[in-house]
Amino acid sequence: MFLKVKNLVKNYSSELPIIKDLSFSVKKGELISFLGESGSGKTTFLKCLAGLEKTNSGFIELNGKILNDNKTFESPQKRKIGFVFQDYPLFPHLNLEKNITFNLEKKYKKNLDYILKLTGLKFLLKRFPYELSGGEQQRACIARALIREPELLLLDEPFSNLDSTIKESMREEIYKIIKKTKTTTILVTHDINDALNISDRILIFKAGILQQYDNPVTMYCEPANCYCAEILGDMNKLFHKKDTYYVRPERVIVSDKKSKYKVYVEKCYFQGKEYKVKGKQNNETWHFFSKNPLEENKNVYVDFGEKDLIYFDPICKNFFK
Amino acid sequence: MEIKSKLLLIENKRWVIVSVLLSMLVILPIFILFFSFFSSGKETLFYLFETVLLDYTLNTVYLIFLTSFFALIFGIFPAWVISNYSFKGRSFFDIALYLPLAIPSYIMGFTYIEILSFTGPIQTFVRSNFPSLSNLVNQDYLQIEILGIILGLALYPYVYTASRISFSMIGSNYLNISKNMGLSNFQSFFKVVLPLSRPAIFSGLFLVIMEVLNEYGAVKYFGVNTYTTGIFRSWNSFGDVNGAIQLASILLVVVLIFFLIERLSLKKSRFYYNKNTQLNIRYVSSGIKSFFYWVICLIPFGFGFFIPFIFIFNNSIETFYLADLSKVINLTWNSVSVSSIASLLVIFFALFFLYVERISKSKINFYISNIISLGYALPGAVIALSLMIFFKGSLLVGTFGVLLFAYVIRFLAVGKSPIQSSLEKQPESFDETGKNLGLGPYSLLKKIHLPINKFALISAFIVAFIDILKELPITLILSPFNFDTLATQTYEFAVEEMLPLSSIYSLIIIVLGSLMLLILKNYIDKQINVSKS
Repeated sequence: MFLKVKNLVKNYSSELPIIKDLSFSVKKGELISFLGESGSGKTTFLKCLAGLEKTNSGFIELNGKILNDNKTFESPQKRKIGFVFQDYPLFPHLNLEKNITFNLEKKYKKNLDYILKLTGLKFLLKRFPYELSGGEQQRACIARALIREPELLLLDEPFSNLDSTIKESMREEIYKIIKKTKTTTILVTHDINDALNISDRILIFKAGILQQYDNPVTMYCEPANCYCAEILGDMNKLFHKKDTYYVRPERVIVSDKKSKYKVYVEKCYFQGKEYKVKGKQNNETWHFFSKNPLEENKNVYVDFGEKDLIYFDPICKNFFK
Repeated sequence: MEIKSKLLLIENKRWVIVSVLLSMLVILPIFILFFSFFSSGKETLFYLFETVLLDYTLNTVYLIFLTSFFALIFGIFPAWVISNYSFKGRSFFDIALYLPLAIPSYIMGFTYIEILSFTGPIQTFVRSNFPSLSNLVNQDYLQIEILGIILGLALYPYVYTASRISFSMIGSNYLNISKNMGLSNFQSFFKVVLPLSRPAIFSGLFLVIMEVLNEYGAVKYFGVNTYTTGIFRSWNSFGDVNGAIQLASILLVVVLIFFLIERLSLKKSRFYYNKNTQLNIRYVSSGIKSFFYWVICLIPFGFGFFIPFIFIFNNSIETFYLADLSKVINLTWNSVSVSSIASLLVIFFALFFLYVERISKSKINFYISNIISLGYALPGAVIALSLMIFFKGSLLVGTFGVLLFAYVIRFLAVGKSPIQSSLEKQPESFDETGKNLGLGPYSLLKKIHLPINKFALISAFIVAFIDILKELPITLILSPFNFDTLATQTYEFAVEEMLPLSSIYSLIIIVLGSLMLLILKNYIDKQINVSKS
């Protein structure tokens, strides 16, 4: 494995551990999304990897080199890790070129043209940060990180400051750059679409503990617990064979015939391609999609396959509350 | 175990250790005074208690009350007018209202007493034009109430600056909302703007109070007995070092009480509000209103700067032929060089402490950074006295080293303030990016923080320079033998009742201070522009 993290613990006070015990590994060239709520310790984890925060205990190894264990602490200056921060911290007193080549070793200077071409910044070199758009600033930060050929690239919520119109194109662009340079990357995000669209694997983190670590399809279809299920999308709750089950909105089909499940339609939202329906089934709020508009305040019949049902232990929900 | 693991997590330990050692030097005077207080006999304390202490306390408190009242009046209203209204002369007043900072309060005091004296222009004019009123204006003006007004005029810029920044930051949204809720401009000011600005105004007022406690020249001239004059009297006139120590220690306790009140008050009334809303500049159509705003700004500027400046300027021309030019040049050089060196030291230490606080992220440095600000609250006489006690018998007494050391202790907080606010504006991710790109603490400072914060460093140099140029008690006590400055020379002429001869020295202090203030205003505007971009 290219990156190994074992039993990592980080706390600012012993009563409030941020990372309780985290172990996982990453293959070379993989893009991993680290998914969790705001304040769950995602950024702290990235800073621990980069050496910007000291861990309380644990082991970190990158490309065969131990960065962190009980005896070793490799300083952040010596780790070959690129870090792109959430707020695009380009130094305001330097122009774009000087920002990208800031403190750059001579051997990497040859990469400048290639990186500029890749990030589309060639004609903005003499501009100062305040003369760049949010997207340009973000690409500049990525260029600054990639030009040093990092063994690991850390992206901390890189799309959170972008508006929705350019977010998608930026996501694609960055994905292309990362895959082209074959850079092993950890992307921290709270946006499910970021995680599902571009990740090789997703890591879900809650209460300082890893909840599930798998590829996007398995994560979505076979969530390890109700937290993982809910963080990746809406869930509709139902009672089936004397037990509580869940079904994803996409699996629910509006049926022309009378079926076992009747939903009272409260609202029907037009979303362009289809309609999103909000309704009540046995006093539980449901969401599903329909190709045609449904009449509000009326009942409709819905159906789904048995294999689409997801089961969790009843205590799961209370546990995460 | 918990402490040990916390210590292990502190970053850049070597920097932290050096900062701890240096901070001990800065708080040295406090330790010395308390040590001396407990080691000296209690008889002096009882004697002081029975004789002068009540008088000193009442006078000090009354003077603080008077000065604060006038500083608030002269500071808040012009700040509100400048921040909210557009009228002819507004940009001039926006700069001019800071200028009284260039006039040391003792020079302001000497000048007004000269203006109001029997031979001064006012009484002379009344005698020759309205002889019947001459008795009315022929009064003893050396009164504590007059001193309160004069100190209010000299010190209001501290309240003005704090209020001006706060009023500008509140922005138009809150005013629009309050108007939308039916409040008039006047009501909005008292019900919304003033409460929101209370912490800022109070911090400005705190500086005024500290300056009053530190004041020596004007207070001595007016014959008002306060703690500071008491310390000088006990020591210089009566040779009573113990009495001086006891008084200085009591003054220190008074200062600490004010310091704690300020901190507690800020803690209680700290508001978090959106500061980025656009400020409305309202164009005044009515000529009368415009005139009214003009008068509100003219009074503090006119009495706080223009009148004393013109009077001193006139006296300087009249007595120019009497001035010893080589002495003038020599003293100017002394003042400028000692103020420059001390200001450079101040910004060096202020930057060092603040930078270590930033990179170590440890509570220790947070406390250090707060403790070193105490120096500004310590009256110059107290600092000077404690250093004299500490260095007693050593070769260092009467050297520039001790003088500069005292200046650094006293004015570290002054230099710290602009650097701190500039550093706080830089996101932590700058440091983290720097480290991630391979920079150590020293390179991070050199390549990132020095260039980014250069305007703040220049501002810090200027404010420290102006304060040190005007400084009197420390310079009087700790100056090397035969070393005079513009400030000490002005004071000496004044106490020897040769005020016109002091004019040229006063004028140079005022002109240098005003020039520096104008440069500072320019840098503050640049800083505002940089942060806007």
